[in-house]
Amino acid sequence: MTAAIVLQVAIGGLLMGLIYALVAAGLSLIFGLMDVVNFAHGELLMLAMYATFTIHQALGLDPLVQLPLIALLLFGAGAAIYRGLIARSLAVRFNTGMVQVFVTFGLSIFLVGAAQLVFGSDFRAISDGVLSNRTVAIGQVVLPLAQVAAGLICLLAFAALVLISRTEFGRALEATREDREAVALIGIDRDKVFSVGWGIGGAAVGIAGVMLSNFYYISPTVGSNFALIAYVTVALGGFGSLPGALIAGVLVGLVEALTALVMDPSLKQVGIFAIYVLVLMFRPRGLFGRL
Amino acid sequence: MTGFGCRRLAAAAALGAAVWALAMPPGALAEPPDIIIGAVYPLSGNAAPIGHDAQMALETEADIINGHDNIPMLLGQGGGLPRLGGAKIKLVFADSQNNPQIARTETERLITQDHVIAVIGSYTSATAVTISQICNRYQIPYISAENSAPSLNQQGLAWFFRPSPTDNDFSAAMFDFFRGIGKQTGRPVHTVAIIHENSVFGTDSSRIQSGLAAKAGIKVLADISYQASTPSLSVEAERLKAANADVVLPSSYTSDAILLMRAMHDAGYTPKAIVAQDAGFIDPAFLKAVGPLAEGVMTRSSFALDATKTRPAIPKVNALVKAHDDGKDLTDMTAREVTALQVLADAINRAGSTKNTELQAALKVTDIPGNQTIMPWVGIKFDSTGQNTEGNPVIQQYQHGQWHTIFPLDVATAPAIWNVGE
Repeated sequence: MTAAIVLQVAIGGLLMGLIYALVAAGLSLIFGLMDVVNFAHGELLMLAMYATFTIHQALGLDPLVQLPLIALLLFGAGAAIYRGLIARSLAVRFNTGMVQVFVTFGLSIFLVGAAQLVFGSDFRAISDGVLSNRTVAIGQVVLPLAQVAAGLICLLAFAALVLISRTEFGRALEATREDREAVALIGIDRDKVFSVGWGIGGAAVGIAGVMLSNFYYISPTVGSNFALIAYVTVALGGFGSLPGALIAGVLVGLVEALTALVMDPSLKQVGIFAIYVLVLMFRPRGLFGRL
Repeated sequence: MTGFGCRRLAAAAALGAAVWALAMPPGALAEPPDIIIGAVYPLSGNAAPIGHDAQMALETEADIINGHDNIPMLLGQGGGLPRLGGAKIKLVFADSQNNPQIARTETERLITQDHVIAVIGSYTSATAVTISQICNRYQIPYISAENSAPSLNQQGLAWFFRPSPTDNDFSAAMFDFFRGIGKQTGRPVHTVAIIHENSVFGTDSSRIQSGLAAKAGIKVLADISYQASTPSLSVEAERLKAANADVVLPSSYTSDAILLMRAMHDAGYTPKAIVAQDAGFIDPAFLKAVGPLAEGVMTRSSFALDATKTRPAIPKVNALVKAHDDGKDLTDMTAREVTALQVLADAINRAGSTKNTELQAALKVTDIPGNQTIMPWVGIKFDSTGQNTEGNPVIQQYQHGQWHTIFPLDVATAPAIWNVGE
């Protein structure tokens, strides 16, 4: 094993980790805001990928050009899920937590079924985009352009999320997270804050979906490949923490890649879960959790 | 016409009908009951595209047996099963979700609720394990259409029948091919790298390939196993690149096959030769997704779409499947599914009954010459473990957007493009 291979694998893991991080960011945001784990998060990723694919097929628009459009679309989807389902489940007077779990879980099953009905079960892929099947070589390290672009866009998206958290709306988000009853007294519309929060979560996963569709296959169950890793990432980074999601995502990507290099690749998730178990044992709130 | 004439005509018609009814043997007026056969496939989840194609293929073959397409193969003339008074085949499908546990309960439901007389399945070998065991418990024949793990017929099950070759035969054909092409071109295979998913299919396949390589004096430079439906195969591709063997031998399902081809490309690695263990690599969805990257890929196959000279039924069956399944040609999978139902229907017909023991006895003495099927096999005859002993595989290569048979040389339709040793 040469140094070049280790470097190559580490950079590949880092790029994949940035995507894991952005998928996890949306999940973390929603959890931090209202203590709801969105089990349909992977399916939002799948929706974004199919939307990108469909628009690409119909209008020939490159996925990169579609970024703002899909982000907006998924913002709408996130807000609509809040207004249509979550807000209603908040009104339930018993077992609220469980009701929310079941609502999002049911939504995920529905979305997978609906995607299979509408798009069929065939694997799709975008293979004629600007970034498709292109590589850049830096010394001995060869990197797929689509993944490099995905990593950069994910970093930009994180920067945007941090900026949002510093605006007045960000402070309203923070206040609503601290005490959702009290904010009503100072004139903050709780429902509005929550639905925008869900919207931003949706937009984050939407951006990840667009970038993924440049190099990953698209199928009704594609979300589940990423959802499990997103849950681990969120728990690892600390529920509700944006920097936590970023660092944990990169960590997961690196550990996964390096485990696959030194051990049997079929055991690569062992590395991720080993770290997860260790964090749970010694720091149950996650690396950056505030709870 | 007068009222009287009209009455007389009606009376004559009634008399005629009565005479006709008397002349017919009792029971002939009623249609014979349908013969209900279960099929367990992944109709949702990651393997759903294959399951969907399987459903279309099996329905097409049922239509051929029941209808009047007049195809030059066994039971291709149509009109139902002759020895059961033209009884029609009816298929009931169940969704395994590609999960062995769900496959088990769904098979049990088909047997106890739908009263199927036999089960066909199931694409992945992992689901075939549970399906074949539950069929054995209920003493219902299981026809394994395209499961290729050799261990399946070594379970000691008396109700298991597999017309298709196994990965033993397939892998042996690959190494025969290596020997043949080495002699022909003077550029033999010295090293291979194996990459496989880690369920029954991939694990069995890699074990056999390692064994055959050792026997042939070919060095295995890497044997990489990975978890199916993984988010990334780039490290695996990197390891293959580092090994840089003469031939890469992948055993992968569709989604991973797509990822692997792209990951190797992204790593700047073009293997000298890829000889796949079928599965994902012959899925039309794979070819669509990776596009030009599939050029030159070789795979073992039990079916040759281009063998129309010796198998005259292929064009007609292919046209029917195409019309049924979104314009998709017959593949190695769908051809074996068509054949599995043909073998089962032939046994039911010869048994002249749907009783399980008679059906089992009929299956055991199955003897179908290859030219009565669409497969390039010598024929179909089961040994004591339920394995067909006359199914011989071929090697195909994807050249200029089409699969061509390149080995054995007597059935080859195109010369192999062979870059090893150049």
